[in-house]
Amino acid sequence: MKALLIGEYREGKLLDTTYELCGFAAQLGGESAMLLVGSEGQLPDYGGTLYLADAAACGEYNPDLHKKLILETVARENPDYVVFVHSSYGWDLAPRVAAALKAAQVSEIVALADGGFEVGCCNAKMRRTVKPATSKAVLTIQAGAFPVTRPGGTPRVERLAAEGSGTLEFVGYEPAEAKGVDLTRAEVIVSAGRGVGKKENVPVIAALAKALGGELGASRPVVDAGWVDHSHQVGTTGQTVSPKLYVACGISGAIQHLAGMKKSDFIVAINKDKDAPIGEVADVLVVADVLQFAPALTARLAK
Amino acid sequence: MEATREIYWNIGHGVVLPMYCLTLAAFGFLAWGFVKRLQVYRQGKPLNRFDRYDERIGRLLADVFGQVKVARVKDGGIPHAFFFWGFLTLFAGTIIVMFQADFFTPLMHVNLLSGEFYKAYSFVLDCAGLLAILMLAGLFIRRFVVKPAGLEVVDDDYRVHVLLFAILITGFLIEGARMAVTELQQNPELARFSPVGYLAAQLFTGYDTPSIKTAHKVFWWVHFALVLGFFCAIPRTKLRHMVTTAVNSFFAPLEPKGTIATIDLEDESIEQFGAARVTDLTWKDIFDADACTSCKRCQDRCPAYATEKPLSPMKVVKQVGEAAFGAPEANLCEAVTQDVLWSCTTCRACQEICPANIEHVNKIIEMRRNLTLMEGAFPGDEVRTAVGNVEVNGNPFGLAYAARGEWAEGLDVTLMERDSDVDILYFVGCYASFDKRNREVAQNFVKICAAAGVKVGILGKEEKCCGEPVRKLGNEYLYQMTARENIETIKAYGVKRIVTTCPHCFNTLGRDYRDLGLDVPVEHYTTFIGRLLAEERLSLVPDRFDFTYHDSCYLGRYMDIFEAPRTVLAAAGGRLTEMAKSGYESFCCGAGGGRIMAEEKLGSRISVARVGMARETGAPLLVSNCPFCLTMFEDGIKMADCEGELRVRDLAEIVAERLAHANSHRHGQVIHVEECFAEDSAAEDAGYGLVARIGLSQ
Amino acid sequence: MKILVCIKQVPDMESRFKPNGSGVWFEETDLAFRMNEYDEYAVEQAVRLKEQLGDAHEVTVLSIGPDRVVEAIKKALAMGCDRGVHVQDPAASLKDPWQIAAIIAAYARDKGFDLIFTGMQSQDRGSAQVGVTVAEDLGLPCTTTLVGFAYDNGTITAKRELEGGVKGVVRVKTPALVTCQLGLNVPRYPTLPNIMKAKKKEIEAIPVGDLLREEARTATASFHPPAKKGGGIVLEGEVGALVDQLVGILKDKTAVLR
Repeated sequence: MKALLIGEYREGKLLDTTYELCGFAAQLGGESAMLLVGSEGQLPDYGGTLYLADAAACGEYNPDLHKKLILETVARENPDYVVFVHSSYGWDLAPRVAAALKAAQVSEIVALADGGFEVGCCNAKMRRTVKPATSKAVLTIQAGAFPVTRPGGTPRVERLAAEGSGTLEFVGYEPAEAKGVDLTRAEVIVSAGRGVGKKENVPVIAALAKALGGELGASRPVVDAGWVDHSHQVGTTGQTVSPKLYVACGISGAIQHLAGMKKSDFIVAINKDKDAPIGEVADVLVVADVLQFAPALTARLAK
Repeated sequence: MEATREIYWNIGHGVVLPMYCLTLAAFGFLAWGFVKRLQVYRQGKPLNRFDRYDERIGRLLADVFGQVKVARVKDGGIPHAFFFWGFLTLFAGTIIVMFQADFFTPLMHVNLLSGEFYKAYSFVLDCAGLLAILMLAGLFIRRFVVKPAGLEVVDDDYRVHVLLFAILITGFLIEGARMAVTELQQNPELARFSPVGYLAAQLFTGYDTPSIKTAHKVFWWVHFALVLGFFCAIPRTKLRHMVTTAVNSFFAPLEPKGTIATIDLEDESIEQFGAARVTDLTWKDIFDADACTSCKRCQDRCPAYATEKPLSPMKVVKQVGEAAFGAPEANLCEAVTQDVLWSCTTCRACQEICPANIEHVNKIIEMRRNLTLMEGAFPGDEVRTAVGNVEVNGNPFGLAYAARGEWAEGLDVTLMERDSDVDILYFVGCYASFDKRNREVAQNFVKICAAAGVKVGILGKEEKCCGEPVRKLGNEYLYQMTARENIETIKAYGVKRIVTTCPHCFNTLGRDYRDLGLDVPVEHYTTFIGRLLAEERLSLVPDRFDFTYHDSCYLGRYMDIFEAPRTVLAAAGGRLTEMAKSGYESFCCGAGGGRIMAEEKLGSRISVARVGMARETGAPLLVSNCPFCLTMFEDGIKMADCEGELRVRDLAEIVAERLAHANSHRHGQVIHVEECFAEDSAAEDAGYGLVARIGLSQ
Repeated sequence: MKILVCIKQVPDMESRFKPNGSGVWFEETDLAFRMNEYDEYAVEQAVRLKEQLGDAHEVTVLSIGPDRVVEAIKKALAMGCDRGVHVQDPAASLKDPWQIAAIIAAYARDKGFDLIFTGMQSQDRGSAQVGVTVAEDLGLPCTTTLVGFAYDNGTITAKRELEGGVKGVVRVKTPALVTCQLGLNVPRYPTLPNIMKAKKKEIEAIPVGDLLREEARTATASFHPPAKKGGGIVLEGEVGALVDQLVGILKDKTAVLR
């Protein structure tokens, strides 16, 4: 079994998600090779064969050219799987490669399954087990689903050159806007509810959010009371979010709020009231005073 | 000496012809003024308000001559009523003089204005005139000195006050001058019956008779000219309300309160839905603007206005008039602005109090219809989402429609698809179906029905939002879609009676669905429980509690149900302290008119204002009868930071705790014999059955 | 200019899903269906482009599936598309993305569309393959995940959404295919006159057999809920112990603490 891993490189940097491909390959077992349209100065900690094309020459986003490079590498390596991260780079490129190879594509794999792959569907509410029906298959893996694995070592670099311009003209990058807070993209959200008591206690929750590497969210009453800016509001009248981890601090769980956050992958609720409706959607309900628990958790995470 | 007076004294009968000619001319000028306005009213769409003459005339008489609606608000209303009656009496007196002088005397040679009748006549008219002056003075002080908040003063107000004062005062001056020369000298006995005229006559002491006569003539002509001016001014100043407001009593809607025109969606000739321009409204809507006296009673009661939102119902009506008279082709919704239109909670406080029978709410809904149906506009993105959810899942939360009946799991409720032979269909509504807090209300209501031996059926996942919030937002299309689905389902089961715990569902199913073909009695649970108690099918163990009660708009003002819930709560042991604003004057919770789906971005919170009023009563408990109110007050109590001090509960929860045979969850100290049954669940079940049998046999 | 928008009708994501008899897809009973969210952005953008260019330009909306998908087509028509195409396939849920793309490509191949809009993915299947695969099949340039779109004289300037809020600006000449992402626009709410007009617009029905010649390249072995996350653990006790317990759980169950 052999996998060709397609590394990610953007704005002159090798992306960490590349190592999730390594994590996936490790679970898959067998050999692997990697292809990267990147730069000599940013080689991955990867001891295998690295097919390297120069991003400066090929462009960071030039699917036509990148496809050509991949097909060339596939011809040389003859892998069973061509593996991408399910990202703006991967989901854009993978179907092009699959179509050219007349190969099956399995998208957004979250786990390996008996004889196939486990993929999410129905907004992550359900799973499917999918098996490729072709000898080669193109795969994309869900970001964050597989451990970041740095195999270590120095790659054996095989340089690739590409010619031609492609049908797309890449104009450039536009930096992220600094407007408010986009909670819909956050991986971790720690939200404050009325249970935090008063405006002066909000920083306690913000500190926990920071410790978990996430954003501060808030329930509607907290926003209405002016404790937290509206851009942080989670719920039907605020933002509908689905982070990997949602921590509800002192939020009882009004229906508008639940509708806005219950799609989160993992929900922790901290509440004094064991019977609060938030308990219905929480994976873990910590029955405690949030003003005692949150600082303790923050302190523990800081260790 | 006979008690009478010479008509046209000092003026001479030669004045009759020019006087009548001038009066006719003035009436012509008056009529012409209204004819011109009539053309403006006609820009509106047709509407039949020329049916049921007997009822309409009855209302007209009560409103005009009884001053019933005006006098409901004491400040302003009482002086107005007395001024009106005074002025009307003077007018009637003048008419009597006219008949006497120009018909009875020349044609029949009889003098009615003599003897005891004349004495009474003189006295009554003098008092009426004095009353009118005093009331006018009172109104003048109110408007120009006290200046109540929100009461606008325009140039018309000065003119009209001056004109009326001048007419009344010159009238007395004429009388005084006449009396100074005649009665005081010839028949002082008679002068006692004209006390004001007598006083006025004192002004002329010291002048010689010819001077007084000259003055009398001058006053007479000035008075006459002022009266003619008064007639001419009627269509051209605020005095117009004498005609328009009065006539509007005749045109007042006679259909059930809250009736909204059901748009025929099959009619392909309709190109404009709702009102974009004033000409898309009816003639009555334009006429309303002319009937408005700017008394600002609507504005005083508007919950949106009271919480610093841009809406004033009075201003909206005024803008309709401005558009009709000034810019009929302009976009009315833009002139009024979306913020104003979306601020309305359709609480009907404005319409209920309006002394001029103006229909504020439907104008706003018509304009909203234009916004939603023609422009696809929403008050906010959250409303867009909620409306989309109603469309797809039949509830504003967007929760799976199939889960709608889950609240009833394990309860004594029949799913209609399994067994439709039930006593009542409980139309649960979205909040009681999905919202955790309101589910408790539904569960308690079902418990009450079980105790009364009432077999309850629900539609479960076959039930959809009744469509009320979207209809009030103007989305008639979505309303009719969901309504028709509900109606079809309800009809298929041959339902005999529907009970709702939501006043919005109650109004919609009971009244609005009729237009779409549903003809089943619909009842709100408060009256239903009231009836069960009255018929002794249900018995409660009263347990003392202090509370204040919130009349929801759609149960109170819309359906006139005020007593039934109070009676039920009293039967449960409640001691009521009313809020300052209750009954017809109740203050909205803020959730009507589809606002339940919207965020309250403008001004302060209506719910907090209402919670504040509840707090002022000192009662620890606020009882509501509506899921929207309950939701708003739960929020409002948190926002107002008075958790612990004030609690909000639904009537069903109070009643269910006091059921004679099911009070095991009670926290009260009162121990009742009935409680013993609750110890043993088998006995409890048997108890239910017993009550049911006894109840039904009664 | 001829524009094609490809849409899918999907269940509302609030629904509860359970496997159907085949075990490879969901049971449709009790599900409420709506237009795939990403496709709404596609329809909106197509209609805006038509509004920009004028009435002579035509937007066709295509959907594959059982009869219920006509509702989604009607919504797109009410939003402003000119004509509908319903590829009738009661078993569409059993087709893999490659086959779905092949059906669309077979339909579009000889129609001379200048621009094809699709959603970036469907909410139910979520493969994010169909759009790009159609483009590959038709040999059209394609860019994905659009949060910005401008068209001028045969050139599209697109903003692609990248991770972390960064955007990539790309120019491409028509004919082309683009896939649309959340944030591209706010889809309009159809007005009542447009809903009425839509009722009269043509919806062409094509049996799927007329278009599909391809075999599936993947097979679904099963459709099931994710393994239990240990749902609804209630932790009670002393704060310090609670913190330890929670950190343990987070390490175990989430990728957040590493």
